[in-house]
Amino acid sequence: MNAPVGLYQYQTADREFLASRIAEFEGQVQRRLSGELSEDEFKPLRLMNGLYLQLHAYMLRVAIPYGILDSRQMRKLAHISRHYDRDYGHFTTRQNIQFNWIKLEETPEILRQLADVDMHAIQTSGNCIRNVTCDQFAGAASDELMDPRVHAEILRQWSTLHPEFTFLPRKFKIAISGSPHDRVAARFHDIGILARPGENGPLFRIFVGGGLGRTPLVGHELFDSVPEADLLMTLEAALRVYNAYGRRDNIYKARIKILVQALGIDGYRKAVEHELSLMDPAHYRLAPETVAAIQARFAAPDLTAAPDAEARLKNDRQSDIAFDRWVRSNTHPHFAPGRIAVTVSIKPAGGIPGDATSDQLDRLADLADQFSFGELRITHLQNVVLAHVAQDRLLELWQALNDIGLGDANHELIGDIVACPGLDYCALANARSIPIAQKLSARFGDNALQEEIGKLRINISGCINACGHHHVGHIGLLGVDKRGEEFFQITLGGRDDALSRTGDILGAALPEDDMVDAIARIVDRYLSIRETGEQFLDTLTRLGDAPFKEAAYETV
Amino acid sequence: MKRAIRIGAGEALVLTANRLLDGLIVWRDAKGIWQRSIAHAAILSPEDYESALEAAIKSAQSDGVVGVYEVVVRPGLVAAPVSVRERIRAFGPTVHPQFATELDA
Repeated sequence: MNAPVGLYQYQTADREFLASRIAEFEGQVQRRLSGELSEDEFKPLRLMNGLYLQLHAYMLRVAIPYGILDSRQMRKLAHISRHYDRDYGHFTTRQNIQFNWIKLEETPEILRQLADVDMHAIQTSGNCIRNVTCDQFAGAASDELMDPRVHAEILRQWSTLHPEFTFLPRKFKIAISGSPHDRVAARFHDIGILARPGENGPLFRIFVGGGLGRTPLVGHELFDSVPEADLLMTLEAALRVYNAYGRRDNIYKARIKILVQALGIDGYRKAVEHELSLMDPAHYRLAPETVAAIQARFAAPDLTAAPDAEARLKNDRQSDIAFDRWVRSNTHPHFAPGRIAVTVSIKPAGGIPGDATSDQLDRLADLADQFSFGELRITHLQNVVLAHVAQDRLLELWQALNDIGLGDANHELIGDIVACPGLDYCALANARSIPIAQKLSARFGDNALQEEIGKLRINISGCINACGHHHVGHIGLLGVDKRGEEFFQITLGGRDDALSRTGDILGAALPEDDMVDAIARIVDRYLSIRETGEQFLDTLTRLGDAPFKEAAYETV
Repeated sequence: MKRAIRIGAGEALVLTANRLLDGLIVWRDAKGIWQRSIAHAAILSPEDYESALEAAIKSAQSDGVVGVYEVVVRPGLVAAPVSVRERIRAFGPTVHPQFATELDA
C-alpha cells in the first residue's frame, strides 16, 4: 500500500459509496431546478451534502476528517477555489474549509472532484454527528500520551451515516485528543474524548454536555476510563439517551448540553448506564484486530533526521532574530529527535483569519511535500500545521512561508485571532467579525510587540451562535444587533484548555467603531499593571476585571 | 406567520431574493424582473408592498429565485437599506471590495 502519511487510505467501498452519494445528490439538484422539489424539501437534502445558502451565494463546507489532509487534497481545494469559487478558501474553527461563492448547478461536479481525492462534504451540516475534530499535533507532539488518529478514524467510520443518529435533536460535535494538554477544547464539545494508554490498552476519558453558542457550558466528565473495547458502545449509549430525551420542541434547547443540564451529570450518567445494561457488549465490542486493521491503513513516516539537525537549528536561530522569534511562537516540540511541528499562521497582519488564496493553498501543498511527508493539518484556531519538519530545514521552510505571506510569528499571540465569517458572509450573523479582526491584527501586527504582550487570544463571533468561540477567548467579542447597527459585547477570561471556563461579560456592548480602541486600551492597561512573568490571564485572575473595565469604557 | 416590519418616516420597501442557480442576490424591479443591482429595485410603499411580495413569492420557482422577502430602505438615487445586514447584501462584503456589486449591473 502506498498510502499518504497521517491519514486513512480509502478502500474501494468508500469510493463507491461517495460516487453513489454524489449521483443521488445530482438527481436531487436536477429535481430542484425543475421545480419537482420545493426549496423547503430541497434544503435538508443540500445541507446533508454541506451546501448552505448564505448571505451572498451558496457556501460549500468541505469536511477535513480530524483536520488532516494530504498535498494532493490541498491542491484539489486550491483547484476548486480557483475554478469554482473566487480564488480563496476559508478554514473554519472545526478544521474544515468553506467556499463562499459556489453555484448550485456546479456542486455535483465539485463533489465529484473532491471524491477523486477521497474528500466530501458529508457531516458538515445537519442534525447528525458532525466531522470529528482532533489534536493538530496528533502523532507528532512530544507531550502526547497516545496518537488519537486511529480512534478518530474509527469514530468517523462509526458515525458516517449512522442510521440511528442521522436525525438527532440537533447537531452533535465530537473531539478527541491524546494529550494531557487539551488542544481540542474537549470540555466544550457535545462529547470530548481524552485518550491515554492503560495497562491493558487504551483508555478514554469522556466529557459530555459542553458547548458554546447561546448557552455556553463546560462539559462534565461522564466516565473516566472507558476501555477501548467499550468505546463505541459507550458513545452509542450516550447518544441514544440524547436521541430519546433531547428536546425537539425548541431549537435553542435541543443540544445535549441542555439535556445534561436538566438531568444533572449524575442523572445523565445513570440513564447511560441503564442503556448500557440493555445492550449486547459482544455486538458493539471494538475488537483489537479491527483497530489494528484501521491502524494498518495509516502510513508511518520515516522520522529519522540528520544527526546534527538540532545543532543546525540552534545555529540558524542565533543568526536571525526574526526566525528565532517565529520558532519560539510557531513551533511545538516533536517526539522524534531532530523533528519539530510547525504551525503556519493563516493570520497575517491585517488579513482575514483563516482565509488562504488558491496560490497559497497550492504552495502549502508544495511545502508539505518538501518538508512534512506531504501531510497537512488544519487547526481549530484556523491555522495549518506541518507536523514533521526536520529541524535543520526549518529556516528554509520559514523563508518559503514568508514568500507567500504566511511567515508571521504570532501563534497563540494577539495576532492569532479566531473569527467567524460574520455578517460579511453569514446569513445568521448580527455583526461583522472580520473587519475588527483585521484592524486588531494590523494594530498589533509587529511580531516583537506581540511576543512582548504574550499569550493572549482574541475570539470574535458575529452572533450568539458563537462560531468564533468568543466565550473561550481570553478576550472575547460578541456581535449584537441594536436596531440594525453593529455593537460588540466584551468578555474576559475565557479558555478552552484543562482549566476551561467561559469568559465574563465586561459591561454594556460598544459600537463597532469603538471596539479596536477599547481592546487596545485593555491591552495597554494589562501591560502597565502586569507583574514579571505574568500572561494576560494571570493578571486578570490576580486583579479581576475592574482595571480592564475601567480601561475599556474610559472614553464612553 | 407574518413578520412585523418597522418602517420609519420617509422609508420604503424593496423586494429581494437569491437566485436559485448561483445563490446571488437579486432585487425585483418595477416590471417584476429580478435584477442584480438594488439600483433597479422598485420602491414600494408600506401600503402596496404586500401584494407585490405575494406575487413575487408565487412566481419564485418560474423566476428562478428563492427566499423572497422585503427590505426596508431609504429611497434616494440608489435605495439604501436601513440595516447593516441588508446594506452588505446590496453592496457586497465589506472585506472583499473586489466583490462589490456593481450598481449598474
